[in-house]
Amino acid sequence: MADSSAAPRLRAHGVSVHFGGLRALDDVGLEVGGDDIAGLIGPNGAGKTTLFNVITGVQDPDDGAVELDGVDISRWSPHRRGRAGIARTFQRLALFTGLTVYDNLLGTWEAATPGAVLGRQRQRGRERVEHVLEQLDLTTIAGRLAGQLSTGLGRMVELGRALCANPRLLLLDEPSAGLDPDETARFSAILRGVAGTANDGPAVLLVEHDVALVMDVCDHITVLDFGQRIAQGSPSEIRSHPAVVAAYLGQPT
Amino acid sequence: MGFFGDIWPLAVIGLFNGAIYGLAAMGVVLTYKTSGIFNFAYGAVAMFCAFTFWQLRDGWGLNQWVALPILVLVVAPLIGLILERLFRPVAALSAEIQIVISLGVLAFLQALALLIWGGSPRVLTSIFSTTAFDFTSKLRLSYTQVFTLFVAAALGAGLWALLRHTRLGVATQAVVDNRDLAELNGISSDTVSRTAWVISTMFAAVVGVLLSGQSRLDVYSLVLVVIFAFAPAVVGRLISLPLAFAGALALGVGQSIVTHWGSSGTLANLYASVPYLALFALLLLYGNRLKELRAAFQPVTSAPAAQPASRRKLLTMGTAGLGLAVVLPALVNEARLGNVTSGVVFASIALTLVVLTGWTGQISLAQFTFVGVGAFTVGHLAATDGSGFFWAAAVGALIAIPIGLLVGLPSLRLSGLYLALATMAFALTVDTMVFSQRRISGGTTGMSIPKPRIFGFSFASTTRFYYLAVAVLAVFAVGALVFQRGPIGRRLQMIRDAPLAASTFGVNLTLTKLAVFALSGAGAAFAGAMFGALRGSVSPGDFGFGASLGLLLLVVLGGRALVGGALIAGFVYMLQILPGLAPYLRYIQLGIAVGVVYVAQYPDGPLTVAADQSRRYADLLRSFRQLVSRPVESKVPEATSG
Ligand SMILES: Nc1ncnc2c1ncn2[C@@H]1O[C@H](COP(=O)(O)OP(=O)(O)OP(=O)(O)O)[C@@H](O)[C@H]1O
Ligand SMILES: [Mg+2]
Repeated sequence: MADSSAAPRLRAHGVSVHFGGLRALDDVGLEVGGDDIAGLIGPNGAGKTTLFNVITGVQDPDDGAVELDGVDISRWSPHRRGRAGIARTFQRLALFTGLTVYDNLLGTWEAATPGAVLGRQRQRGRERVEHVLEQLDLTTIAGRLAGQLSTGLGRMVELGRALCANPRLLLLDEPSAGLDPDETARFSAILRGVAGTANDGPAVLLVEHDVALVMDVCDHITVLDFGQRIAQGSPSEIRSHPAVVAAYLGQPT
Repeated sequence: MGFFGDIWPLAVIGLFNGAIYGLAAMGVVLTYKTSGIFNFAYGAVAMFCAFTFWQLRDGWGLNQWVALPILVLVVAPLIGLILERLFRPVAALSAEIQIVISLGVLAFLQALALLIWGGSPRVLTSIFSTTAFDFTSKLRLSYTQVFTLFVAAALGAGLWALLRHTRLGVATQAVVDNRDLAELNGISSDTVSRTAWVISTMFAAVVGVLLSGQSRLDVYSLVLVVIFAFAPAVVGRLISLPLAFAGALALGVGQSIVTHWGSSGTLANLYASVPYLALFALLLLYGNRLKELRAAFQPVTSAPAAQPASRRKLLTMGTAGLGLAVVLPALVNEARLGNVTSGVVFASIALTLVVLTGWTGQISLAQFTFVGVGAFTVGHLAATDGSGFFWAAAVGALIAIPIGLLVGLPSLRLSGLYLALATMAFALTVDTMVFSQRRISGGTTGMSIPKPRIFGFSFASTTRFYYLAVAVLAVFAVGALVFQRGPIGRRLQMIRDAPLAASTFGVNLTLTKLAVFALSGAGAAFAGAMFGALRGSVSPGDFGFGASLGLLLLVVLGGRALVGGALIAGFVYMLQILPGLAPYLRYIQLGIAVGVVYVAQYPDGPLTVAADQSRRYADLLRSFRQLVSRPVESKVPEATSG
């Protein structure tokens, strides 16, 4: 394993992706430290999800590299990255609809854990799943089919699933979209509980349109617009950054 | 002269068939690019049109120049409109569902043609004069060949010009590029796709009439011949009409040239296998460049999955089923018991497809190829008294593993439609090239397969073999259930529901899919040994594409994601061979086809269709009640509902 004290948890640099004539990402760089909850914001179509796709390996970039703890993983397959500790949620829910909530989590844990099906390990998997279910308050719906859940619960299950993937880096794509205010509040509490400073918790990169939530939980924010990074910095810096205000936040009222 | 002098006349002759394939390829491409539906039933439509033509001209004695316009300008467009209407609602669903529906349409048209015109082949004389003349000393042509080439080229060029130079062409292109944007700009994508279906079906009619003029007309052959056109369609990436046409010409020429070496002996079937081999090779080599239209927007299934049955319920049903199976021999006579055994063996074959198609989402049109591998292996290796049968069956299963990997290979880069095409091409290639070999299958006379015997105990009697078949099915079913409820089954479901998500969490899609192909193939081969023993003698015809297609349709009908679905498939198979039902066989087949189209969207089979429908009724009823009882509803909701 690389020396993780020096290298950031995630480093992406020079990432470019185009779809036909459209530049979805143009020379974008980003760093997330091991203890960070980092934010990634920008208007619709800015390229946030595309960047997630590049980091998880489901989208080949035209250019650029991705490093995890200092190791260049640019050429790794998605499943290898998954096993190395990159876990994500999907903006458009991608639950395993035909499985129960419990099995969504357990299956994910098994996929992410080498030798998961061997005797001793199995017990560990169940413990992990049950722990996460409790943490996210999903125990009561553990037996329901994921395909039959509301969007709000679905997003929670997506989060739970990612947490069961032994994450070192958690990519959350608009996790609060479709949640009501109560759920959002609970979500941000949970996020703080599982991530960053908590022992051995994963670093988090959060894409979110709920600006208040982002400003609230994130240590560090990157702003994309039309595939380009237009700013990065602490929440207070971003809030007053002229380019960000112009492109995304609008004038504070 | 020499070699080239021998070759070029063959090449010229190849152009004639190539041009007809070209029309078919264009017909297939046209509907695919406008509506996103790949029409597997294209050959069946051509067949149906050819029969219609026979009916009009030879049956009712119309002049063919009256019959032809009726066919091409009235009947074909009508069929096209019906198909368009049928497919429109599924255009947004997964490729898997679309494929199944279009295969269901194929089966429907075959069954309908059998019902109307019976099973005996017709002779459809060519619409042009067959008088031949010497073109050169080496090349003798007939007028029908020349006219065929002329008609095909004219139609192809006409379509190309239409799409190139008219408003319709512009609209078509707009819809192909971006359906939603086209709609915004006031172009009706429905009109475009309707027109495409009409033109495509008109082409199918012409193809049917032209091709049938060369050989006899029956319900099956044309379907296979039109599959020839799929390879050139893929050359054009299912998008380009000119490329598809050019590819078809090249294919016709290549196919014709092969006869130079292979008009007899072991290569005799090379002629027929060239297009299939070409299709498989194309998909394998060229696969990474193929993209399914709008694949990104397709959800995997439309129906919510049913809650899996509880362990207790399964145990109860399993015990009841086994109990019935045990006493059955006392209840029915020997002949019926033989029929039941067929159903049981078929159900175990069906189970292997449930694992592959139902649980992994990989449509396979090659499953009976593996059944054949098992049967022929036993035919070679087991002694005539049946000893060594199980060893041989195990060897057959082992042989099936690398073959399964080979079939699965395209699945690494291909999915949905292209994978289905690849398995189909594989099945047809093996059928025409490998199983046809005398040394492998005993040729058309086939090969006899003994009933198994182990440690001197023979399973030759009907009852004993029945029990053996039940035991094999029980082992398969229990194995499948354990498998499904364990980590592997979970993983397969993950891949089926959200492949991208599964892979980002660490599932190696490649490895998993290949493993399932291999395992499912091995299971099918083992079941194939039983199938062979059941038949007593088998020939390549038992394991053709048609058999695999029939299997897939029955599994879909029964519920492709359920172990019980395989049992239903076995039951329906049995219905088809019961002598008492023979008079109704064609209605049963028609019913199966209709059922398949209806069930296609429900991997959990007919029962979930029923559940879904009743839920819809319940919803309707509830909203109706609410409407009626609105004034009091807010005050006493509990009381009114109780
Ligand atoms: N597979 C694709 N093919 C073509 N264009 C794409 C594809 N994926 C994304 N795009 C385009 O790339 C741009 C960036 O998309 P992306 O989904 O990354 O934006 P986003 O920042 O996540 O937006 P949102 O806030 O709406 O989720 C958009 O214009 C989108 O239409
Ligand atoms: Mg997005």
